[in-house]
Amino acid sequence: MSVIPREEWDKYPDIEITLNVNGKDYKVKVKPYERLLDVLRYKLGFTGVKEGCGRGECGACVVLMDGKLVPSCLVLAVRANGSKVLTVEGLAPEGKLHAIQKALLDTYAVQCGFCFPGVILAIKALLDRNPNPTDEEIKDALSGQLCRCGSYLRFIKAVKLAAQYIREGKEYFDESGARG
Amino acid sequence: MVICIPRFNVYIPKDVSDALNALSQRKDLIPMGGGSDLLVLIRSGIVKADTVLDLWPLRKELAYIKRENGTVRIGALTTVSELCESDLIKDVRYAGLADVCKKFSTPFIRNIATVGGNVGAAHPLSDIALMLLVLNGKVKLLSKNGEREVNIAKFFKGKRRTVRNHDEIIAEVSFTETPPNSSTAFIKFDRRWGHAMGYVLVGAYMQLRDNIIKDVRIAFDSTGNPYPERVWTTEEFLKGKEFSDELIKQALNNVLPKEMKRITDYRASAEYRLDLSKVLLRRALLKIKSRIEGGG
Ligand SMILES: Cc1cc2nc3c(=O)[nH]c(=O)nc-3n(C[C@H](O)[C@H](O)[C@H](O)COP(=O)(O)OP(=O)(O)OC[C@H]3O[C@@H](n4cnc5c(N)ncnc54)[C@H](O)[C@@H]3O)c2cc1C
Ligand code: FES
Ligand code: FES
Repeated sequence: MSVIPREEWDKYPDIEITLNVNGKDYKVKVKPYERLLDVLRYKLGFTGVKEGCGRGECGACVVLMDGKLVPSCLVLAVRANGSKVLTVEGLAPEGKLHAIQKALLDTYAVQCGFCFPGVILAIKALLDRNPNPTDEEIKDALSGQLCRCGSYLRFIKAVKLAAQYIREGKEYFDESGARG
Repeated sequence: MVICIPRFNVYIPKDVSDALNALSQRKDLIPMGGGSDLLVLIRSGIVKADTVLDLWPLRKELAYIKRENGTVRIGALTTVSELCESDLIKDVRYAGLADVCKKFSTPFIRNIATVGGNVGAAHPLSDIALMLLVLNGKVKLLSKNGEREVNIAKFFKGKRRTVRNHDEIIAEVSFTETPPNSSTAFIKFDRRWGHAMGYVLVGAYMQLRDNIIKDVRIAFDSTGNPYPERVWTTEEFLKGKEFSDELIKQALNNVLPKEMKRITDYRASAEYRLDLSKVLLRRALLKIKSRIEGGG
């Protein structure tokens, strides 16, 4: 983080905000210019929130804020005050995999995995609204998720598989039973 | 690790009147809608911000799409997602707005980007602003001292510069409902589908009766100035004439190039952009005709 000259310490006073992250309430002191990304990743330790570009172009930092997919690099922390945030860490109970994660493993979509937290949450945002999406709808929903390793075609397969799991009532899987 | 993060304060107003009061008293406030444009500019050092005025709390008052008494009114803090999920864009007359939605950035940007911010950004690649030009839209500006409406064709002054005074906020954009035998189209051309900026953007509105062009409005991302503008001479040339391949050919070859100056940059040459402008305008007009006649 940047080094703030002593004379500027009072210029940007801390603001206390409350956040519910993955079902748990937090009170955090934030600077007015800090982003939701900075707070989640560096202050609360949710390192599943990745910073790729820092300017809305890559989708690595997306989280669900009050149910909506947002780039946490372009949301000021003070704006998130009082909201409910879901990061990839909160997707499934401890020791379990969410159907989306299982489907991504089953389709061998994972390469380096850097884009995955964002991809997973973008898929969640899609399936929450549309339990049976078409290829076109999947492509639009994932259009902002850049994957340097190029797993794009497998994402489409994985979304369909995840949708199927969820329709069959299989939302969570044991982590130990997962392939990958 | 030292990262250079621009520092600024944020003023969070309670409501519209609090925001307007603050703007009238303080010279250091920069209004922010979704921040999808402004925060990027601040972070890259293009805009220096002392204090950002966060307009998000004004969504209580300024996020809506209303159709009353023959006018469509869109609150400035309506998000692009809200616009794109609305019934308005299902109306075939506003199919051009549906075209915008198909190509507007990505779902997560659409969730934060606002309609007012698109107009406020005053950028050649402001898709919604471009469509408002062809819908003959108005921008409502609100200040502590009252309100005024500016035709969007007179709203831009330069790249990222508008006629908005420091103490004003953009409160609403509006346009008169267009007649039944009319429609719109928007084309953004790029090498890629998703997440595209576009080498050339064109928006058009046309009203046809018995194949006669009763009315037409056309706007491009740029015709010489660094903001979207209408091509008035081309519009005048087409108006009142019978829609035909020959007429469009004449407009594209003899009229449009005279009122359009294109630039060369790292993305495309001026020559290519002009050629593309002609091709895309022809496609847009044909698309509108087919939409009026019941096609897609
Ligand atoms: C990755 C990415 C992709 C993008 N793709 C597209 C695209 O496909 N098409 C497109 O058109 N744009 C695109 N944009 C640009 C931007 O998202 C849009 O212009 C958006 O509509 C801006 O809205 P905003 O609310 O985020 O504006 P902000 O960033 O909040 O503001 C933009 C400007 O308008 C001013 N402003 C905002 N609201 C008001 C108000 N109510 N009153 C007074 N002034 C105001 C601000 O001071 C600022 O100068 C993209 C941006 C990013 C980061
Ligand atoms: S880090 Fe937020 S979109 Fe790239
Ligand atoms: S798997 Fe490597 S970036 Fe997507």
